[in-house]
Amino acid sequence: MLQGVNWRAIASICMHVNTGTRLGQSDPPASITRSEITVHLVDTMHDVDAHHLTKGLQASFDHIGMRYPTGTQALDDVSLTVAEGECVAIVGPSGCGKSTLLRLAAGLEAPSTGSVALGTTSVGFVFQEPNLLPWCSVRRNVGLLAHLAKVPKAEREQRVTAALDAVGLTAFADQLPRALSGGMRMRVSLARALVLRPDMMLLDEPFGALDELTRQDMQGELLRLYESRRFTMLFVTHSVAEAVLLARRVVVMSPRPGRIAATVDIDLPYPRRPEVRFSPRYVEHVAAVADILRGVR
Amino acid sequence: MTSTETITTASATRTAPPTAAPAEAPRSAAGRRARRLLTGTARATAVPALSCALGIAVWYGVSYVLLSPDRRFLLPPPHDVVAHSFLDPTRIEPMLTALGVTARIAAIGFVCAALIGVGTGALMSQARWIERLLYPYAVMLQVIPVLAIVPLIGLWFGYGSSSRVIVCVMIALFPIITNTHFGLRSVDRGMHELFTLGRSSRGRRLVMLELPAALPSIFTGLRIASGQVVIGAILGDMFFARGEPGIGTLLDGYRATLRSEDLIASILLASAFGIAVFTVFTLVSRLVVGRWHSSGDHR
Ligand SMILES: Nc1ncnc2c1ncn2[C@@H]1O[C@H](COP(=O)(O)OP(=O)(O)OP(=O)(O)O)[C@@H](O)[C@H]1O
Ligand SMILES: [Mg+2]
Repeated sequence: MLQGVNWRAIASICMHVNTGTRLGQSDPPASITRSEITVHLVDTMHDVDAHHLTKGLQASFDHIGMRYPTGTQALDDVSLTVAEGECVAIVGPSGCGKSTLLRLAAGLEAPSTGSVALGTTSVGFVFQEPNLLPWCSVRRNVGLLAHLAKVPKAEREQRVTAALDAVGLTAFADQLPRALSGGMRMRVSLARALVLRPDMMLLDEPFGALDELTRQDMQGELLRLYESRRFTMLFVTHSVAEAVLLARRVVVMSPRPGRIAATVDIDLPYPRRPEVRFSPRYVEHVAAVADILRGVR
Repeated sequence: MTSTETITTASATRTAPPTAAPAEAPRSAAGRRARRLLTGTARATAVPALSCALGIAVWYGVSYVLLSPDRRFLLPPPHDVVAHSFLDPTRIEPMLTALGVTARIAAIGFVCAALIGVGTGALMSQARWIERLLYPYAVMLQVIPVLAIVPLIGLWFGYGSSSRVIVCVMIALFPIITNTHFGLRSVDRGMHELFTLGRSSRGRRLVMLELPAALPSIFTGLRIASGQVVIGAILGDMFFARGEPGIGTLLDGYRATLRSEDLIASILLASAFGIAVFTVFTLVSRLVVGRWHSSGDHR
């Protein structure tokens, strides 16, 4: 088991990797495997040229550096690739640039150095804040992006109804956002992104404001949607348990300036049922990720 | 002694509810709400009534105590104003007709100012260079006293009602432009990003996001302008007296002939009109945006 990972040891291996020969010429250890949990110290998928995305790749961050005009260095040399249909979770201390990474992926921000490439234009984004139109009903808010994308009205109504049902807000369809709790507003925001049926979902702590039970329900719901629709998913969360439950890979970021400290492969098979939480395998992975996270802080 | 008493009463009230609660709770809650509503409306009407009474008292004081009988014509007491002007049809009727004229001009001026102002504010919010181009003129409009350009307006547009309308527009434009511009500019960044991600066109962004979000601000501007426009119309009446007389025209005449009862009566009428317009706009604004904007919660 990975309990008691010696972080300094990992860091030194990491340095060794970075100063060693180029990736892909697998002489130095690019990853360590203990008790069948694989921790990559660098993104091993990242030996693909970001500018020539093959069909199998949905997102590629190539040596990204991000410095805001205020002088804050939010990200430093981040390289990450996400395969089509893959779910990657990003965890890391507050302010390490997780939101920035998603914003770069969505094209809301341009990197200072490096490049970002997406394999699709159909992207759903769930912001860290709900960002609802306060004068529109829940139903109209959910249909907003579909409206902007000029989805025909009948089709839109049908999708909105389905999305509202998926997030459990059918009873509140005609209320204004101000009549909803914080967690309910986030669910509206999630439904709004789902209505477009995107190839890729970028989610920024969508369940942060939910109570534990609703949170678990929503995780189960998202898992179900992910497994049925097979979109690519880049998911920021503060919860290690959530990351391990949903993702095939968990990316652990170090504090500002954000770097990728390690990625952990979660080899729990899909379809995953929420009950996977009680399996020893799951618990081991959670412990491993939590350990690394503790180490970077 | 007293302290033990208060303690026992306190504990009594604390223990009482559980036994009485089931049957009593809903009714007492409703009763409390009704009482609060009553005291609320009482407070809402009693205080203005009191302030009104106070104003009239001060007025009487000035008329009878401060002014000697031979100088009382400077401020005739309230009942004289009521008897001489308000209750005399030959005097009040021309006043009301004139007020109607003024109101019409104010309304035309307001609609023009609203259209031009919201349009200009929207234009300015579309690009920095448009803002830089137009803003100096908007500020100029605000800082140049209307009195200073009255001769010019008269020269250009004549001394009739079109010049009155122009005074109204000039005086009401600035608050509408600035509030519209401010409202359109202060839309939340996250909401803009949502529309960016939705690949929204400029026009859709304006209609579906910016204008609705700016409505509270726009209404603030319109509300201020609605007060201004009444002032503008009265000023216009005074300077551009050709054509149908407005209340300002009459005011000027009463001043010249020292008819102080009529003067005061027409001032009261004009201010009542101003208050009515302002109140209507406050209500309309609450109706339109109060549903979702917190500015409608109070006031
Ligand atoms: N628009 C901006 N302008 C300047 N600095 C910014 C901006 N947005 C973020 N930053 C800075 O970049 C850093 C990373 O911010 P980011 O929002 O990506 O963090 P985060 O990992 O999402 O944090 P959290 O978990 O608290 O949401 C922070 O130090 C923040 O101060
Ligand atoms: Mg964030």
